[in-house]
Amino acid sequence: MTDRRKRRKLGLVGAAVVAAAVLVVAVPTAGGARQASCGDVVLNENSWVGSTADTYVLKYVLEKKVGCKVKVTNITEGQPGFQAMADGKIDVVMEDWQNLPSFPQYTKAKKVVNFGSLGITGVIGWYIPRYLLKQYPQFKTWKGLKGKESVFKSPESGSQGMFLGGDPSYVQKDRALIAGLGLNLKHVVAGAEPAQVARWTQLYKQRKPVLFYWYDPQYLNATYDLVRIQLPKRFKGCQDDEKKGGDPKKYACEYPSYPLDKVVSGKFATSGSPAVKVVKRFKWTSADQNFVANLIAGKKMSKDKAAAVWVKQHAKQVNAWVK
Amino acid sequence: MTTVTETPIAVPVVAHRPWWRGKIVQSGAIVAGMWIAYRGWGGDHPWPNGLVWNQLTFKLDDFQAWLIEKRLTGGGGLVFSIFDGFRIMCDHLVAWFFDALTWLTWLGTAVAGTLLAWRFGGLRAGGWALGAFAAFAVTGLWLESTETLALMLTAVGLSLVIGVPLGIAAGRSRRFGRWLTPFLDAAQIVPAFAYLMPVVLFFSIGYAAAVVATMIYAIPPCIRITALGIRRVPVNTVEAAASMGATRRQMLGKVQLPLSRRMLLLGLNQTILFALSMVVIAGLIGGGGLGAVVNSGLFSNPALAILAGAVIVVMAMALDRITESVAERTDPARRHLDAPAKRRLRLQSLGVAGVITATVVVAKLLGVSGDFPDYSGVRQRAVTAQEWLLGQIQTVLDYVQDPTSFVFQITEPVGNFILTELLLPLQGFLVEAPWFTTLGGLTLLALVVSGLRPAVTTLLMLGLIGFLGVWALAMDTLSQVLVATLIAVLIGIGLGVWAAESRTVSRALRPVNDVLQTLPQLVYIIPFIYLMPVSIVPGIVAGVLYAFPVVSRLVERGIKDVAPDAVEAAGAFGATRRQVLVKVKVPLAGDAIMLGVNQGIIMVLAVVVIGGLVGSGGLGYEVAQGLVRGQFGQGVIASVAILALGITLDRVTQGSRSKRKESME
Repeated sequence: MTDRRKRRKLGLVGAAVVAAAVLVVAVPTAGGARQASCGDVVLNENSWVGSTADTYVLKYVLEKKVGCKVKVTNITEGQPGFQAMADGKIDVVMEDWQNLPSFPQYTKAKKVVNFGSLGITGVIGWYIPRYLLKQYPQFKTWKGLKGKESVFKSPESGSQGMFLGGDPSYVQKDRALIAGLGLNLKHVVAGAEPAQVARWTQLYKQRKPVLFYWYDPQYLNATYDLVRIQLPKRFKGCQDDEKKGGDPKKYACEYPSYPLDKVVSGKFATSGSPAVKVVKRFKWTSADQNFVANLIAGKKMSKDKAAAVWVKQHAKQVNAWVK
Repeated sequence: MTTVTETPIAVPVVAHRPWWRGKIVQSGAIVAGMWIAYRGWGGDHPWPNGLVWNQLTFKLDDFQAWLIEKRLTGGGGLVFSIFDGFRIMCDHLVAWFFDALTWLTWLGTAVAGTLLAWRFGGLRAGGWALGAFAAFAVTGLWLESTETLALMLTAVGLSLVIGVPLGIAAGRSRRFGRWLTPFLDAAQIVPAFAYLMPVVLFFSIGYAAAVVATMIYAIPPCIRITALGIRRVPVNTVEAAASMGATRRQMLGKVQLPLSRRMLLLGLNQTILFALSMVVIAGLIGGGGLGAVVNSGLFSNPALAILAGAVIVVMAMALDRITESVAERTDPARRHLDAPAKRRLRLQSLGVAGVITATVVVAKLLGVSGDFPDYSGVRQRAVTAQEWLLGQIQTVLDYVQDPTSFVFQITEPVGNFILTELLLPLQGFLVEAPWFTTLGGLTLLALVVSGLRPAVTTLLMLGLIGFLGVWALAMDTLSQVLVATLIAVLIGIGLGVWAAESRTVSRALRPVNDVLQTLPQLVYIIPFIYLMPVSIVPGIVAGVLYAFPVVSRLVERGIKDVAPDAVEAAGAFGATRRQVLVKVKVPLAGDAIMLGVNQGIIMVLAVVVIGGLVGSGGLGYEVAQGLVRGQFGQGVIASVAILALGITLDRVTQGSRSKRKESME
């Protein structure tokens, strides 16, 4: 009998404690008020470091100067990223390299809106380390490679020279280029960017020859001294989408340059948020981006801190975006 | 393809045959014939263009465009509405879970988790929970970890809700089980990268998509193991219950489920491990949490990616050990509670509830945040634990990335040797041999090793690969899969035999298996590329490391399950321990070893895409590119080819086991 009474007592105490807890917790949440001039903005960080730099600088500006609440997501680029924008899950992607075939479908439906240039022009091409030019000055242009391909040979390419291909998500036509230019090179797939970087940096550190797909702006270009090989100039009707097939001669020209664009979701573009005009005005240079990217990936600074460093040095430029 | 079994293996009756009819001799002759054809006409006969269906890619791309159009204009109607409903439910469930964990504050969550684990799973379980929370906190990844935890608990929960009933149905009805098997095979072999795109189109981006992608991979083991558990309930028990007039429902509730309890729990554990191995891929489509940290870290801060990967492993192991302890403690067969014990437990429950409530109240009053505080903001110069850990990892990475290091002097030549002596010749052989000899040779091999029906399947599957226009890519991938499987099987059999003989080894292997099954492959393979900077080899390593634990586990089980009377009989004849092992146990466990080979192949195929991302090329690269470049057709075709390769390899290696497998189903 006493047992049961004790239990009931304990039960009452328990109930009281729970009730108190609910009260305590409920009170402070009810009184919270937030400065709600801008609201939530979702930025998507793509997997390369340049995009990280764009995204976190914008995040810093929106948070500190505009008072937005910013969330950064890491949706993979390509189809998932665009579908996310169409569904209104992502507001802004800062650096689009225009490599999605279904892009027009999204813009036509006004689900994705192009917000113009980021101020940076992306360059894609064939790169070699500068130290190679000492021994082989002719490698400045693709013609110099002819007959000298075996300089780049590796265990997997046999007697041919090795060409290291790029990340699967990047625009590429190197197989067709090699065939079209009649070079004795073997296209070796290196995989995702970190894997490709592992391959060529390891050769670079040993001062060995290496020829690979690469691009700019890229923060590693500050650490490694690379040269872009001059490929044949672009001619009329020159093709870039290797998947279309056909005569490789039609591909035998350099990659076009890519003015990198900011793209936003249709929902965000028409939201009237003060963040919209900041995104529209955001513009900087390759040097700016590489500076921030190098702080993050080279110096291992936290992304937010790196953004703060750049913003503090460029107060005037940033103020023009937010005014 | 196959189910993991524990059935004691019947002693095979060996028929007498002339030597030239032996399987090994015949297989050797077939391979020799293929080799001669390769030497004679290598490179002269690629798969003919006339036998390729070129239009398929465009048709699939059109289908995707159509799907996007429907999605954008909202013209999908009922189908999309159903998916939308599910999506909204999932999104809310995960978000609610995550919010609840944040609301409890980090202190409240840690105390609640630890005490609950302790109350229901005992001291060890409590220790694991505490350790896991400590890991979340020390690494500075508290919020990310709790987000992943919320996501995974939801995914595992929903997987069980769907998987267990299907497993029970498959266990009770052989026909349903057979009907279901191909779907399970497909779900396990088709790379997740291939179905991310449709998942995204149907479920958009976010928690729901991440949960669905995880479930597709985690449900099959749940169904398989549950079905196996139900089927393995002794027939006489079932008959006894039936003779006493048990209804079907009573039979299930009172006989079959309780008796298959241990297998059901194994199913739960495997579901957890499989789910946790999807965290990173889920991160690609909005899963957030640790997966997102790994994905962005791979490019900008590899040390951080490794750290986040380690947290995923800790979380997987803790969940696995806690569920195991809880299951053991609540096992009715072992639990005989008397009145004082019951009272003690009740008091414990009350105490736990009280302490949790009190902690949360105090934490809320003190304004403890939902995220574990990062003191670096307060004391700029203080080195937080995370920075210290990252520093340590970075030191290792710096060493690995240094081509003048001692280790590199060894690993580079080894990598080059494997590539030039093993991989490239095999690749050349399979890719360049005339297509008809490869097609015919592999079909004959299936005929010799496994019989007529598997041979027909092999022929059809290889024909399909050619028809899809990816013959060369598939042969490239096949050569890598063969090498990786070979190495994984050798390591797996060696370790499995050893573990079966030694308890210490068996115990030591378990955490190794857990780590290799749940640590995201890219996290350790990318540093590895610096050590062996040649294409293909890192991909092979990824396959081997993912596959050998499964092989060794199956071999270990097979040897342990060898009928004890056979072992005793051998002992009675005076056989030494070694003789018993080599002459009795290993031959009698032959089927289990074959099953190990077979599962090894499936596991190797499961990481083909990872291989593609680290330089293996082949079908894996095509699949990855299909996703990120929006080339739906390319991704689907390469995935179907991977599936076809998987079925082919399964049929060629399944041997005579199929007959016994059927008798079990």
